[in-house]
Amino acid sequence: MSLGAEREGARRLLQPAVLAGLKNLDLVARSVVEGTLIGLHRSPTFGFSQEFAEYRAYNEGDDPRFIDWNVYARTGRTYIKRFLGETNSHLMILLDASASMGFGGPPVSKLRYAQFLAASLAFLAARQHDAVGCMVFDETIRDFRPPSSRAGKLQGVMHSIDDATPGAGTSFNRPFEKFREQMSRRGLVAVISDFYCDAEKLLEGVRPLAWQGQDVVLFQILDAQELEPTFRENVLLEDVETGEAVEVAPSFMAEEYPRRIREHVKAIATAASGTGADHVLLNTGDSLDRALRNYLLFRQRRQ
Amino acid sequence: MSLLAPLFLLGALSIALPIWLHRLKTQSSTRQPFSSAMLLETTEEQVHVQRQLKYYLLLAFRIAVLLLLAFAFAKPFIERPPTNVAATPGAGTTLVVLDASASMGRSGVFEQAVDLAETALDDAPSGALLQVLVADSRVRELRPASADVATHTNALANLAPGAGRMDFGQVMAAAEGVAERLPAPVRLHFISDYQASAMPAQFADVIPANVATLVPGIAGTGMPVNWAIGQLRETADGVEVSVVNTGLPERVADVELRVNAELVGVRTVGGQGQYSVQFDSIDFQPGDNRVEVRLDTDDDLAVDNDAFLVVRNDPPLPVPIVTRNSQALSVTYLSAALEAMPTAGFTAQPLVPGDFDPRVLGRSSWIVVDDLGSLDASTAEEIADYAASGGRVLAFLGDASTGIDRLPVSDRALTPADLGSGVEAFRRIGSVDDQHPALRNTEGWHRVRVSRSIGVDLDGDPAVLMRLDSGAPLLIEERIGDGRLLLLLSAIDNQWSDLPVHPVFVSFVIEAADYLSGRIDAFGSYTAGELLSLTAAGAGQVVDPDGENLLSLAATRDARTIRLEKAGIYAVYTAEGESLIAANVDPRESDLATIGPEVIERWRDATFTSSSESDVVAETEGDPLELWPWLLLLLAIVVIAESALGNVHIATRMRAA
Repeated sequence: MSLGAEREGARRLLQPAVLAGLKNLDLVARSVVEGTLIGLHRSPTFGFSQEFAEYRAYNEGDDPRFIDWNVYARTGRTYIKRFLGETNSHLMILLDASASMGFGGPPVSKLRYAQFLAASLAFLAARQHDAVGCMVFDETIRDFRPPSSRAGKLQGVMHSIDDATPGAGTSFNRPFEKFREQMSRRGLVAVISDFYCDAEKLLEGVRPLAWQGQDVVLFQILDAQELEPTFRENVLLEDVETGEAVEVAPSFMAEEYPRRIREHVKAIATAASGTGADHVLLNTGDSLDRALRNYLLFRQRRQ
Repeated sequence: MSLLAPLFLLGALSIALPIWLHRLKTQSSTRQPFSSAMLLETTEEQVHVQRQLKYYLLLAFRIAVLLLLAFAFAKPFIERPPTNVAATPGAGTTLVVLDASASMGRSGVFEQAVDLAETALDDAPSGALLQVLVADSRVRELRPASADVATHTNALANLAPGAGRMDFGQVMAAAEGVAERLPAPVRLHFISDYQASAMPAQFADVIPANVATLVPGIAGTGMPVNWAIGQLRETADGVEVSVVNTGLPERVADVELRVNAELVGVRTVGGQGQYSVQFDSIDFQPGDNRVEVRLDTDDDLAVDNDAFLVVRNDPPLPVPIVTRNSQALSVTYLSAALEAMPTAGFTAQPLVPGDFDPRVLGRSSWIVVDDLGSLDASTAEEIADYAASGGRVLAFLGDASTGIDRLPVSDRALTPADLGSGVEAFRRIGSVDDQHPALRNTEGWHRVRVSRSIGVDLDGDPAVLMRLDSGAPLLIEERIGDGRLLLLLSAIDNQWSDLPVHPVFVSFVIEAADYLSGRIDAFGSYTAGELLSLTAAGAGQVVDPDGENLLSLAATRDARTIRLEKAGIYAVYTAEGESLIAANVDPRESDLATIGPEVIERWRDATFTSSSESDVVAETEGDPLELWPWLLLLLAIVVIAESALGNVHIATRMRAA
């Protein structure tokens, strides 16, 4: 198979509509990551190979599995063998499973798309030997998996992500506060949400993370119907979280609402940049490789 | 096609509602979940964007439902073409009149009467037209005239005697009218117990014209044993029951008195004749009290063993007496007369000019003015307005009326005093209209001497109810707007006449009070079968003793009278609340003495026909065919279709959502 055909096949596999047909989230994640990597130009900066980079002296706390016993046999000293792309970072995925995330589709709701993204990030990070953890939250923390680089733990993270279902309303303050209490080590934090909240309130939640030394990236997932709604007649739209019902006219949804959503996204992005966080807007119709590329670029900048 | 209650067609206007709803397209029509309402805003154009009808078929069903409903309530009916009931020409008519009055309720008598009626129908000449009339307090056709015997006998099987009284004169007059439009010769079978009390004053009244032969059918023979309650009336602190025994002297009966369904007392009476039983010291509740008396005895006629009375225990109503001097003799006499009979229910409330408040008028249905000429301009105007809006005024004249040209309130011109002062110059009362409700139960006017009165101009023909022996009017009644003025053209002090010191003055004031307050029209005593004037009672609904509503929805608006068919206590619902009315069996129905056979014989012989045989083809009106049952059936079908279609739309939306 030629490289072009291989890339085309991988790109098709990254489409959410195709991924929605895959029942196994592991398989989704693997497909996404492999598809993304196939599409990348090989570059040392992205370093996902297992190529040798350097030796360094073993320090207390290093994983003894990576001691190069051949060098020890020859020199009598313990050295750790390091590879390109290998870091000692960890990734914490904060997945919003509030009721609003259940909106969207077909083919996939925002939550399902977020699950694909979270699983792909987790798989990608694990492949890089990063410790991966996750926290599923809505108004409260519904599931928490501390970061771990052990192979078996990844399955736990995957399960946690896969089990997430749309819950109640959204709150960033309380879950983030508890998250800060649990996580003292700095690392990467990927927050996946639709961010239907006031930008200032989001800032209140994210800013302490930044102060804690966490590198935060906000993945904002929105459905196409939210970004560019298409209503041909009056509709009574009911907020799935609050139950509030608002009757809107097609003209409002065609003109005013898109302007408002753009301003809201911009406000979220501005709030994110104000705390040093990255903001990535994703449409549930987008293929996932763009998200992963953004993550890798972000990770690269933080190295 | 005609409508019994066409006003219900106004309900068809309600179709505007579904049309409006379908045009507007409500909020709930396309409810959809959305991730967040934080960026949404209700837009004003919601009512403008959908200006076209939606779901035409559903709308059509809904409009059809409302139209059918309104149409069904309007009670449409189709007049069937008259039924040609012509029997064989020359066979004539057999007309059966069946007595269904209260006295026919004796054990076995009515059944015997029905048998006689059936026999008369069976024995009718072949091809004769048959007609059955049922008579109690009224005479009605049992079924339309026809030659079919079974139609009439089937209807007879469901008959039962009522509680009303029958009068032979009235029945024969009705039979005469019916016979007039039936093919001659008419053979009249009059089946009755032939009570003597049902005979009219003149024997000629029972001889019907247009009838060829009278065939008496006598139901019930022998002298029955009967106990009856002759009268039940209210006394000062209880009730008095008059019991009549026309049966065997050794029989006894228990008289049970119940007030508001509670047994208050039992008395035992025995022997033949009439007894008065007194129940004293009864603690009546405020408002209307249901008083029921029952004779517990084994006699032949049960319907007259119960009697009913409504005792009103309301506090006396104050009646304004507009006067210049609350200590005047006229006020004293009026107050004494009003309060002489506690059951009259009125008490005097003198109002002198300083205390006069027009709002008092609005609280009373009638007022008294002791000297109409004494009213100042503003008070006279207030009273004139009060009368024009339906108030009723009992007025007298006096010294203040002598110096004026026109009467206040009525604006009637006065003529000089008819009589001067002086004992020798008095006049007596020449004529009294004793049919007028205010004078009906008054006696002794001839003893009254009138020394002074004031003449009035009789323009507009006011009703002159009383005149002096000189022919001058003394008491007149005139309408003022919706109200009325009852005016005595003399004063009620001992200078102008000696009326106040005669007993007739008290009865006149009480009768006038009943008349002017409207109580006499509505809530007098009734006998079963009598008509109640709904307009006088202001009744919206009448509930009979068995708790059944007597008026249909349409009748509550249109009916002017209603017949009180049963004996018992009726509840009348008016704008002021519930009032009770007692209806009793006419005491004459309890007298079971019959007319002698010689009288019946003479009656039969006197009946003849003046009409020759004719080939008149009688036509009776067919029963109207009411359409509402069919409309309801159609309505049910449309409702089912509407529900099914609506469900389809809902399911479609749910799938879309």
